[in-house]
Amino acid sequence: MSLAAEPWPAYDGRDAPATVGQRGRVAGTMAVWRVELVKLSGKILIRAIFMLSVIGPFLVVGFLNLQSATPGDTPFGQWVHTSGFAIPMTILGFGGQWILPALTGVVAGDIYSAEDHLGTWKTILTRSRGRGQLFAGKFLAAATFAVAVLLVLTVTDLAAGLAAGRSPVVGLSGQLVPAGHATWLVAVSYLSDLPPLLGFTALAVLLSVASRNSVVGIGGTVVIGVAFQIVTLANMPQWGQQALLSTPFMAWHGFWGAPAFYGPFLWSLLTCAAWFVACSAVAWLIFRSRTIEAAA
Amino acid sequence: MTKWFGETTALDGVDLTVGGGDVHGLLGPNGAGKTTLLSALFGLVLPDEGTIRLFGRTRAQAGAGWLDGVGGFVETPRFYPYLSGRRNLAVLAGLDGGDAASLIDSALERAGLDGPAARQKVRGYSLGMRQRLGLAAAVIRRPRLLILDEPANGMDPAGIRDLRTALRRVAADGVTVILSSHDMAQVEEICDSATILSAGRVAVTGRLRALRAVAPDSVWRMRTSDDGRALGLATELAGVKAAAADCSGLDGGGLVVHAAQGEMDGYVLALGAASVAVRGLELDRTPLEALFFQLTDGAAKTAHVEVHQ
Amino acid sequence: MRTGWRESRGDAVRQLLVRWQPRRAAWAVTVAALALLATSCSSSSNLTPDRLQPSLGATFANLYVLQQSEMGNPLVTTAGLDAHASCQKGGTLDVAQEGSGVWLCQITYLIAGPGYPVIAKYNVDLQTDGCYAADGDGPASVNGSPTITGPGYRQLINPLSLIDGCFDTT
Repeated sequence: MSLAAEPWPAYDGRDAPATVGQRGRVAGTMAVWRVELVKLSGKILIRAIFMLSVIGPFLVVGFLNLQSATPGDTPFGQWVHTSGFAIPMTILGFGGQWILPALTGVVAGDIYSAEDHLGTWKTILTRSRGRGQLFAGKFLAAATFAVAVLLVLTVTDLAAGLAAGRSPVVGLSGQLVPAGHATWLVAVSYLSDLPPLLGFTALAVLLSVASRNSVVGIGGTVVIGVAFQIVTLANMPQWGQQALLSTPFMAWHGFWGAPAFYGPFLWSLLTCAAWFVACSAVAWLIFRSRTIEAAA
Repeated sequence: MTKWFGETTALDGVDLTVGGGDVHGLLGPNGAGKTTLLSALFGLVLPDEGTIRLFGRTRAQAGAGWLDGVGGFVETPRFYPYLSGRRNLAVLAGLDGGDAASLIDSALERAGLDGPAARQKVRGYSLGMRQRLGLAAAVIRRPRLLILDEPANGMDPAGIRDLRTALRRVAADGVTVILSSHDMAQVEEICDSATILSAGRVAVTGRLRALRAVAPDSVWRMRTSDDGRALGLATELAGVKAAAADCSGLDGGGLVVHAAQGEMDGYVLALGAASVAVRGLELDRTPLEALFFQLTDGAAKTAHVEVHQ
Repeated sequence: MRTGWRESRGDAVRQLLVRWQPRRAAWAVTVAALALLATSCSSSSNLTPDRLQPSLGATFANLYVLQQSEMGNPLVTTAGLDAHASCQKGGTLDVAQEGSGVWLCQITYLIAGPGYPVIAKYNVDLQTDGCYAADGDGPASVNGSPTITGPGYRQLINPLSLIDGCFDTT
């Protein structure tokens, strides 16, 4: 060891470029975002999720091929043996409401509280990055993961469906939808789940920041998702239904109507924006002046 | 600054100025508020009252660049256990921006963590290795202010010696160092000035020379050939107070003498003149230590001492 | 170096600095949720016959056309069918005609001219999201069997046996 052997690198007299001014703040947030993505990509769980997202849909297709029965209780379920397009729609209808919140919860519900668990907040908060940049950079990384997972699932579910068969599929007003249009509708249906997915990302971030505990961050997100699904079963006024963050996951029903209706989708944009803004704002308010314990 | 946590006041009206290029020691018993103060310097803890300025800028004025040129750690440095030492520094360099990444190799070498240690995951690091990685993480920031909380904790004697030399060297190069420590000897050897915190308040602060001037007498342990006569002689000398050491002491027997260095010299000479041989003489408490205990020990403590430069 | 210390303690200031309290927030959310459920007694959920009936009728018509074409029968049009649904919730008349649950629907349509209406019956399970699953309840030749026979004796799913549809609740 030779701490004393040579002079230490001298302070070069100017602030690090990515910290000054408005552009500096953005550049600083980008730096945090990059670092967080690198950390995420090294995690085994993340890699497993992506691998499963790629292989999973084809496994589902294989599984369905093995049986003659068809999934009940979900639209498009009865048509899975008739048209390949029914398969991604069945997956979306059946799993969208609980798989997607869980997926985003795994990252967003952990990305802040992991630092509390490891005691590393004091390490990363004492570099040339303000709390705002760290908060925003981590948020961006969590959102990036959520978007990436949804895109991968969209592509692979659609590909699995196309591989299973391109017959026209029956829509939600009994109309026959030809293959070209059906491809488009499947893609758009999946992408319409992006706003509620981001809403749950913000909710998971809030839980992670508030509880400083990854179990609450991840588990809490899943539990709240399930709770929404239970509450939605109750008969309540329409504005109550629309206020729940689980309702937007089904906004794609309207795309498959004849004629198509977009009311639920427009409502979903409003609901998700409200949840996103509220959860993010509260999470930031909690984080910005929190005392960081230095406990060894 | 003042900081309270619920009902507890961690820091009460702590008012401190450290000049550039100084090596400043921060002393105090556990719970005195040293960690809270150092955390506040780093922005980990926000003061309830008062402001903190680093290089003349408050956090609000400087924004994210407040900690530019500031390096160090509070309590044991923590890293990502699933990453290697080098990858950890790479993550931190990524957060720093600038040319921090290019300094990683030399920093690891300086800290004695090059080779296999750098590739090892941090979860396998010993306490001393973590401390050294913390120092490496400070080096890559090109620090002009080092804030170190017990940096020698867990290090072997060679490492401690190296660290001491390094701190004196960087101080000579103009880097300011704020060092919190339990080890009085370290503080006396490296620091130019010191602050003693007690129960969240500044008990005394100043240059070491000035602190020694207001300190109570040093405490010595002495073994002589004739303790009885030595005790008698002490009563005749002004400025020397001697008492028999209690047998529960480690060495058993001997004398405990309270005297300043000058008076002690006179006492030893007087003993020699009276044909009492001094068989052993050790400094049990330096002036600084004596001052520390006077200010921080329970019942007998003095709340505050004024120092004149 | 300067030394100094302050005497003052701001108790009032400390009261103002009471931090965000998780427990209070959780209570607030729970109360809001319960209030939400309580208001379900009043105002509308839009799960009413005037939305269900047109949707079921139009969906039935489309699926009837599909069924006939799959069986190889002569073409029919939805306009020609003039299908209308009439739905009632629950068994008795004094049940509120609104909300999710089981509805009994009759679909009246024309295949052999205006004078010969045919009635198809369905047990409709309506969900709160405006989607329904209508289980065919007669006549047997229309929706009684889960399969139909196409050209070449191929067995196909009978589109009218189980009707999945959704309508706009907003």
